[in-house]
Amino acid sequence: MSATRLSFNHSNHDHPKLGRFLVASLIAHTVLVILLAGGLFDSARRVKPPVYYVDLVHKPVLNPQAGRPEARAKPAPKAPAAKKAVAPQPKAKPKPTADKLPTAKTKPTPAPKPEAVKSAEQRRLAAIEELRQKQARQSDIDDIKQRLAKLQSAGASVPQDVPIGMPDGSGTEAGVSVVSHVQAFIQSNWALSPYLLDQSRMGTIQAKVFLVYSDSGELIRYRILEPSGDSQFDDSIKRAIIKSKQLDHKLPKTMELTVLFNLKEMAAVRR
Amino acid sequence: MRIFWLIVIFMTVLLPQTTQAATEIEISAPGEQTIPLALVPFLPIDGPESPKAIGGFLDALNADLELSGLFRFVNPDAFLDDAAQLGLFSTQVNFGQWRLLGAETLVKGAYTLEGDSLVVEARLFDVVNRRLLTGRRYVGRTKDVRRMAHAFADQILKALTGELGPFSARLAYISNQTGDKELWLMDVDGHNSVRLTNHRSIVLNPDFSPQGKELLFTSYRANNPNLYRKEIYTGQEAKVSFKKGLNVGGRFSPDGDEIALTLSKDGNPEIYLIDRNGAIRKRLTNSWGIDTDPSWSADGRQVAFVSNRLGNPHIFTVDTYTQEAKRLTTQGKYNATPAWNPKDDIIAFTRQENGRFDIYTIRSDGTDERRLTFGPGNSEHPRWSPDGRFLVYSSDKDGNRAIYVMRADGTGSRRLTTLESDCRHPAWSGRW
Repeated sequence: MSATRLSFNHSNHDHPKLGRFLVASLIAHTVLVILLAGGLFDSARRVKPPVYYVDLVHKPVLNPQAGRPEARAKPAPKAPAAKKAVAPQPKAKPKPTADKLPTAKTKPTPAPKPEAVKSAEQRRLAAIEELRQKQARQSDIDDIKQRLAKLQSAGASVPQDVPIGMPDGSGTEAGVSVVSHVQAFIQSNWALSPYLLDQSRMGTIQAKVFLVYSDSGELIRYRILEPSGDSQFDDSIKRAIIKSKQLDHKLPKTMELTVLFNLKEMAAVRR
Repeated sequence: MRIFWLIVIFMTVLLPQTTQAATEIEISAPGEQTIPLALVPFLPIDGPESPKAIGGFLDALNADLELSGLFRFVNPDAFLDDAAQLGLFSTQVNFGQWRLLGAETLVKGAYTLEGDSLVVEARLFDVVNRRLLTGRRYVGRTKDVRRMAHAFADQILKALTGELGPFSARLAYISNQTGDKELWLMDVDGHNSVRLTNHRSIVLNPDFSPQGKELLFTSYRANNPNLYRKEIYTGQEAKVSFKKGLNVGGRFSPDGDEIALTLSKDGNPEIYLIDRNGAIRKRLTNSWGIDTDPSWSADGRQVAFVSNRLGNPHIFTVDTYTQEAKRLTTQGKYNATPAWNPKDDIIAFTRQENGRFDIYTIRSDGTDERRLTFGPGNSEHPRWSPDGRFLVYSSDKDGNRAIYVMRADGTGSRRLTTLESDCRHPAWSGRW
């Protein structure tokens, strides 16, 4: 007994921090066990969740959106910036306030509580302080606006007049317009070698075809309105139409299309 | 009256709406600029397979169609079971399978081999429209198998373009493989070469008659550059022009009645027109400079030639009726060997730039000049195929001078002769 105590005392004497270390280790291990039991690290053991590919680009929709996020941001400036600048700005642009706000912080807001008991002088001072902050924020915002304007004028940002996203995008749906989709589909099915044609006619040859697609994407009927007069060219178009008799997506509605086939792009490249 | 107004309202309100419903779109280039073609190995009609006998057919057909630039070949590894079916009628072909593989055209065939006798049945199908485009039956000996393939390649081009291909024709060229520069003949793919002359001298500048089977060439056999005519099958040879001085660069007119050539009988080389027997019909040029290398336009109305009358050698054209000459090229310090496309108003020629010859084309009005060959070596002596789709020329870009062929736009260049000796001055025959 005494030996044990002695030895204990001895070890305690030699390693004065051992006890604290053991306690800390015990706590750490307990926490670890709790975390593991609670499933915190379950994700590491879990099988990777399946990744779903959503084809936003080729999905034909009736009202395709304009495109990139900047395009959506654009309408915001529609609201008269000068008038509503003070109220919405802290939400939209938190950064400018970040520099100044920490100094004043939100102390003026908790102030109302003691405000009741504070004197009128204190309330006046708080109001003055709040007004000063607002003015500081406003001057910061004005400064940022000026810098943005400079950047835009220097061409560093997206100019206002550059079309963003799909040319015919004006709606809210993710995807391409139906017309663009059908156009791309038929084009991908059109195979024609430039060596088949009279090179001198390359820039002028064209044919017009009328197509009707059902909403299930099936070609209901077609009619060649204006043949090119070149049998190779017309045959290649017929083959493309036959290959495009079933689209790879459904359409939002039945569509009637007049398709003008020509080789202007190819002629321009070969020039 | 009420009905009339109802009709008017209907016409003005409803009809425009129905016509406006059709949206207009424009597709200004095809998605694919080649036609997907499935070339299926031919199967024996009776008896065992004989890859040795039929292999040459597919090789030659494949090479011709690849050179045409029209096709993209579907990978044979992807072929399904229809490739192993003998069916040569459109009702027997599983077009759905070929559509699945992306093919738009399909070549199938079969053969019968009895001893040395070979019968080949070849078909070209339109997969999308499920119909036969062309079909041929060739009968011959096993050594003719490549020529059968060339003939079928011509038919494929005719079925798809409306004009026969030039693969059944022959190429004449000059080679020194015997030690002397002699005239040789070979198939368009470089096979079956055969020597035509044995002048043991210098033979130059061959040209086929439009009807084929007859060649013009210049030979120094009599110690003077004289013009000869040779019938290929009979082997008969005749001196056409043997005037004092140069009798070089003879070219048959498109109708074959006249020959344009360079004569220097009066001292200065000039372009003349002579008949098939050598009698002078007309002198086309008359200048102090050297005029040489004539080449006829497709309509036979003009002749392109080289002249240094304005200083450096340039390409000119001369009207055969008015004898009015017009300068064509203005660039470069040395332009030579013009060759007028038999189907178009394009003239191919060689130009020396930085000490190296390359092939160019220019329109007959002097516009749209394009360079066709690039890279190392000299590329010279361009001559057109009878359909104007290809150019044959000589080049030393791979070491010794050899005969090459390429498409009219300069793509798809391919070496035809593999000899160690020099080969030059090629000429493409007409329909054989």
